Amino acid sequence: MSLDNLTSNWSKLRVKRPQPDQYKDAPYKWGMVIDLDACTGCNACTAACYAENNLPVVGKHRFLKGQAMHWLRIERYWGEGTESTQEFPERGAQFLPMMCQQCEAAPCEIVCPVGATHHTPDGLNSQVYNRCIGSRYCSANCPYKVRYFNWFNYPESAWPSPLEQQLNPDVTVRSKGVMEKCTFCVQRLTEAKDRARTEKRTVRDGEVLTACAQACPTSAIHFGNMADSSSAVARMWKAQQVELSADRQAKDDQREIDEQQGKTDGVLRGYRVLEQLRTYPSVVYLERIRSSEV
Amino acid sequence: MSDTFEEKEVAVELRFQPKPKDIDEDIAWAQINGDVLRSLERPRPLYWVIFFGSLALFLWGVYCEIYQYNTGLGVADLENPQVWGLYIATFIFWIGMSHSGTLLSAILHIMHADWRKPIYRFAEAMTTFSLMTAGLFVLVHLGRVWQFYYVVAYPNERWTWPNFSSPLVWDATAIGSYLTTSVIFLYFGMIPDLAICRDNATGFRRTFYRALSIGWRGTDRQWSNFRVTYLTIACLLIPLAVSVHSIVATDFAVSQQPGWHTTSFPPYFVAGALYSGCAAIITLFIILRYTFRFEQYMTIPILEKLCKLTFAISMVWTYLNFIEYAAVWYGTDEFAKQSLIYRATGDYAWWWWSMNILGSVVPFSLTLKRLRTNIPVMLVVSILLNLGMWIERFMIVTPTFAHGYYPWTWTQGWWPNWVQVGIVLGSFGWFNMLFMLFCKIFPSVSMYEVKEMVYHRRLPRKNLKPLPAEG
Amino acid sequence: MSGSGISRRDFMQIVGLGGASAALAGCGNTSIESGAELVESYVQPENFVVPGVGVYYASTCTQCPSACGIMGRVREGRILKLEGNPNSAISGGKICGLGQAAVQRHYSPDRLTVPMIRKSGELKQSSWEEAMTLLTNAVAPADKAGRRVILTGPASGHEQVLLRALVEAGAATDHVVFDALSTAVAASVNRRMFGVDDPVTMIDRAGVVLSFGDDFLGAGESPVAAARQYARFRRGARRGVLVQVEPRMTLTGANADRWIVIVPGTEGVFALGLARELLQRKEAAGSVSPALAAVIEPYTQAEVSRITGVRGDHIPRIASLLWEHSPTLVLAGRYPQGHAHGSQNMAAIGMLNVILQNHGKTVMRAAELPFPQLAPTAGSFKALRDLNEAMAAGQCRSILMHGSNPVYSAPAFMGFADNLQKVPFKAAWVTELDETAMQCDLVLPLLSSLEDFGTHVASNQSDGTEISIQQPLMEKLYPQTRAFGDVVLDLLRKVKPDSYKSFPDYYAYLKSAVINAKPAYDPAAGDEEFWENALSAGVLHREASLQPLPGMQASPEMIHQPEPAGDDLQYPFRLIPAVTPNMRDGRPASLPWLQESPDPLTTVVWDSWAELHPSTARAMQIREGDVLILASAHGSVRAKAYLFPGIHPGAVGVPIGQGHESYGRFASNVGVNVLKILDPIFDRDTGELALYSTRVSIAKTGQNERITKDEGPTTLQQDRKLVATLAADQVDLTKETPFVIR
Repeated sequence: MSLDNLTSNWSKLRVKRPQPDQYKDAPYKWGMVIDLDACTGCNACTAACYAENNLPVVGKHRFLKGQAMHWLRIERYWGEGTESTQEFPERGAQFLPMMCQQCEAAPCEIVCPVGATHHTPDGLNSQVYNRCIGSRYCSANCPYKVRYFNWFNYPESAWPSPLEQQLNPDVTVRSKGVMEKCTFCVQRLTEAKDRARTEKRTVRDGEVLTACAQACPTSAIHFGNMADSSSAVARMWKAQQVELSADRQAKDDQREIDEQQGKTDGVLRGYRVLEQLRTYPSVVYLERIRSSEV
Repeated sequence: MSDTFEEKEVAVELRFQPKPKDIDEDIAWAQINGDVLRSLERPRPLYWVIFFGSLALFLWGVYCEIYQYNTGLGVADLENPQVWGLYIATFIFWIGMSHSGTLLSAILHIMHADWRKPIYRFAEAMTTFSLMTAGLFVLVHLGRVWQFYYVVAYPNERWTWPNFSSPLVWDATAIGSYLTTSVIFLYFGMIPDLAICRDNATGFRRTFYRALSIGWRGTDRQWSNFRVTYLTIACLLIPLAVSVHSIVATDFAVSQQPGWHTTSFPPYFVAGALYSGCAAIITLFIILRYTFRFEQYMTIPILEKLCKLTFAISMVWTYLNFIEYAAVWYGTDEFAKQSLIYRATGDYAWWWWSMNILGSVVPFSLTLKRLRTNIPVMLVVSILLNLGMWIERFMIVTPTFAHGYYPWTWTQGWWPNWVQVGIVLGSFGWFNMLFMLFCKIFPSVSMYEVKEMVYHRRLPRKNLKPLPAEG
Repeated sequence: MSGSGISRRDFMQIVGLGGASAALAGCGNTSIESGAELVESYVQPENFVVPGVGVYYASTCTQCPSACGIMGRVREGRILKLEGNPNSAISGGKICGLGQAAVQRHYSPDRLTVPMIRKSGELKQSSWEEAMTLLTNAVAPADKAGRRVILTGPASGHEQVLLRALVEAGAATDHVVFDALSTAVAASVNRRMFGVDDPVTMIDRAGVVLSFGDDFLGAGESPVAAARQYARFRRGARRGVLVQVEPRMTLTGANADRWIVIVPGTEGVFALGLARELLQRKEAAGSVSPALAAVIEPYTQAEVSRITGVRGDHIPRIASLLWEHSPTLVLAGRYPQGHAHGSQNMAAIGMLNVILQNHGKTVMRAAELPFPQLAPTAGSFKALRDLNEAMAAGQCRSILMHGSNPVYSAPAFMGFADNLQKVPFKAAWVTELDETAMQCDLVLPLLSSLEDFGTHVASNQSDGTEISIQQPLMEKLYPQTRAFGDVVLDLLRKVKPDSYKSFPDYYAYLKSAVINAKPAYDPAAGDEEFWENALSAGVLHREASLQPLPGMQASPEMIHQPEPAGDDLQYPFRLIPAVTPNMRDGRPASLPWLQESPDPLTTVVWDSWAELHPSTARAMQIREGDVLILASAHGSVRAKAYLFPGIHPGAVGVPIGQGHESYGRFASNVGVNVLKILDPIFDRDTGELALYSTRVSIAKTGQNERITKDEGPTTLQQDRKLVATLAADQVDLTKETPFVIR
């Protein structure tokens, strides 16, 4: 056993919170932008995620108990407050695709007793299945509740032969007792990075997509490498003035001031969910828009 | 002349009402030995009934656990986000219950509170067995129980360490060291008694006690070493006791979930631990006193002192509990406030109010001498207090999951199912079994310390006031 | 897609080898868990196939009639996952949940693997020899009396050509095309008013889309293509505005800037009221004849409000919005069609596009297909009705069915299953034993869509014209399954031995047909090269311009709106059988991913439900989960109540597609089949079933069961900023980085 291993890696294991320009010299930092005005709530992304990541279908009885395994879920809200104010939802429904936000200061990473979840050098929150002993502390600490535990041995029930032929060989089929969550399709990222490395280059923008981003019919999900300042995602984060390492964005402060002065236009749509909890998510959502003319 | 003398004696008696004695001073050593050793003799049928009842409960818990182990934690109706359920709550309960043993045997020892002497032995045993029971829950609760040892820093070929920033690793360390030290302390403190057992036993038992008493002869040198060692371990144990439950509290305090992220949690948990431990000691006190006829040793005055101690701790707990509510109510964290309101008005409201009444109102019965000297009432009260404390642990864990940050994942009407309840009941059976075995194998009253206590009562009092002048 | 062209022989060699190993791995061997996998090395691998790295082959998804181009990831000879084919003008590289689930149909544990023949009352496993003998007798020319019917779902491409050939060759007397979700009313109205069944509508060119219940994003005709247009619609130089008017919120309605609830069936009245408002502007002068204007005139705001329940001030606001954001687009979906006056509703709505001068801008005539015989044929309900009457009268001698499950979809009043029993010989081609197959004398096992060849043509193509190619993505899993095309060719050869002689199988026929199409696409290429390129690209695409539509031909009777029916005290509620994106007509119900995929609007899974507006539920003291009995004059179903704010208070919505009695383990005994209880009400002009005219009563059973859904106890954001909304004038979309719309 190496003490060096412990002391030297420890400082890389966890910084207290992300630093500005932390990924400036890194080759990769994966991030996402989800345009809620383009998301129609069609659930194509969730089906693609099931197919890509060997997610088990749990069936009605277990779904009723809250034991569903959808890494990516489409939430549908009817209102923003605590009470229903309208008789009919005249502005439609509010859809939100929610998956692991790959937080830079993930509450789940610090509390895993065996270190089964950490932050990778390319900015993902990793889940190491064979290290996980299933204490579920990570799920307890997740504010978004996007971690899913294998409550049963699903291979016994979810893939009656020959359905198991459909399983993606690049992704582990998890046994009971381990935690899992969205990985930003890390198997695709690894394959793309390997391919790029053989060709002595970095992964190009748009060369690799998560399954959900690839499936989305309206292209509401944008995925890419934020360390590459020319990538679409990096440019979107910049245009929306959302900084990865800030827990409160300057533009939000400015918007408050503007609203007090009665100026309501010129708003930038990008925000992160529950940002005030200082999780520093890697997913920016763009506020949905509703025309006020009608 | 003698008449006058008797009058003066009566006058003295009337003007100086002696305090009720914690223990009589005229108990012979042989009687002490005899009374306590009699408790180690063949048990009556009722003992077997209760023992096998506890065994049955334990086996039922084992069955539930085997079912859960084979099929998966899903059979316990755990779900996203109710991921912890009764296992963590009961785990904390058992750890909590262990603290009072240390309080009595170590802390009060250092404070020279003699009244602890007849009762600390079984309290210390209670500590050890609660810790063992709590350890069971660590295993029950894990998804991959067979790999629980990943939490320990053992040499392995992957060069991996556990994650030291995780409160669960602190738990493992703290509980491990607390259990080890408690067992050592319990055993060590028993050595003179085990020697007495050895001297009075025959056959196999004599061999057994001889082995355990490791050649204790009661020489001055041995006693002197014994005292020093005992005190040293006691001093080691006290910070452990405080830290263990503080660390268990950090399981919650370190997380940022609403309803948990409070700096008052460590002292709150320690207070709760002492509280439930003292209540459990009262329960066991009454049972042992009745079963083994220990009325001379486990006297009412000692019970009263125990009750007063429990009351004091209950007020500390009440204060810390109230402070937590006040801090949330007057604070700016909207999420925490919603969580508090949910506890008082949501699915678990009945339980929350029960917890507060049982924990803060019922202990006032301990202030009334008439009640606290009434054995049946104290039995019921102590069980109610412990029930209140168990509910408190449940109320810490479950409502935060039911009504956390994220409304999409709120739950409604989530209750633990028969598997969870079965395992919890099984743990009580397990604890019971261990304790009952202990009472029949090891002396549950510390004979040598009781002798010390009686001896001290026989010594002339040093601060006796002079009689008033005649006339 | 794979880069270099490959010959079929080589392709089959690869997939054959891979398929063999897959078959080995599949039979008697183990699950992934036990880890005993065989490591097979290719004897003669193609140079682009690397074991462990997937290769993508193009094909076409056939889970719904959209004909989206897909590509399948194939590894070690087996298909793993489907994606959209970027070359396809329909899917553009995108795919919906039904497309993903196609692999589950292919690998279904309930696949039919051998032909089954009914002997002494029960279906028993049999052989193709026996099956072909029976089939041949069924198509033998008319020495006996009686109609020989082929019943299929909507079809296009060469499969349809062969079906037509069957009728021409005399192997069948009728080809009946049945679509449970038929839009034949719309087709009929469009044909009468504009001369074409199916005008092309372009959402991405509109500034405002006013949709009368057209669920183009969810369960419409071509959801993926429409969603791609919708993305451009929202991201244009000026963000498009969507207004949806319908009695029950669809997925599209959930995305509307303004969703307007309306009394079921009164869409036409609303349209006339809107027309009246639009005609006030001088731009609209002369767009309708005086006769039509006279019909429109009485529909004042107050009158419209009274009939439709819509607030009066919506109409002027919508009217001015429509004029300001020209060009616009008015769409009509299934809701307005499903009434006895459905044609009148559609005519009134269709007229709006004319008034708004959208024709030629967002509504056009489809471009000429180079091969019109491949154009899609839409199904209708009337066709099934006529067939049903013929069967009842004993006129049918045999019926062969493919791509359709009429025993499931036909309402109970038709007695379809009973009438089917009167037909002496019934056969069906299926991949899983569904209700219709269970009634048949002969059931034939089909190749799955991932094992078969085919060509498909989508409707509503606005970007040139395209033929989508379907090719096998792996060797067939079960040796006794056969392609539908192969069997049809066999039948044709039985009837006309000399025809189709040069084609040993459907593959050969298709390849020859595609190569014959070469002059229209790539005249310079060699034959084999053209074929391989077609397979590789997955599509044959031709640029073409859309044609203008002829002028409107409408008589006053066409848009005349009847007085709405009064209340029915015995059946006070309107039943809305909702078409949901996951279940559509019920065909996807056997796919577990789709059963587990929460309905986007209610988040319910693995079940049916009865949607009630919260105010209605409150008035009737119904809580969520209360088991209700919904009874019409022709049947009843039980369903759990679900409180849904997006429905008219006088209506109850039940999703279509569940309630299968047999259809595999994932579909059987899940939910209820609401199609059964529909009333026999038909559109006056076309005879189509009026899907939305049934009335029901609601009775509580006193039982309550928890509904299996994904949402929690609250459907509000509880003051957390989860999904935030901005008003359109608060945002300047041009400042945002141009989005990549792939």
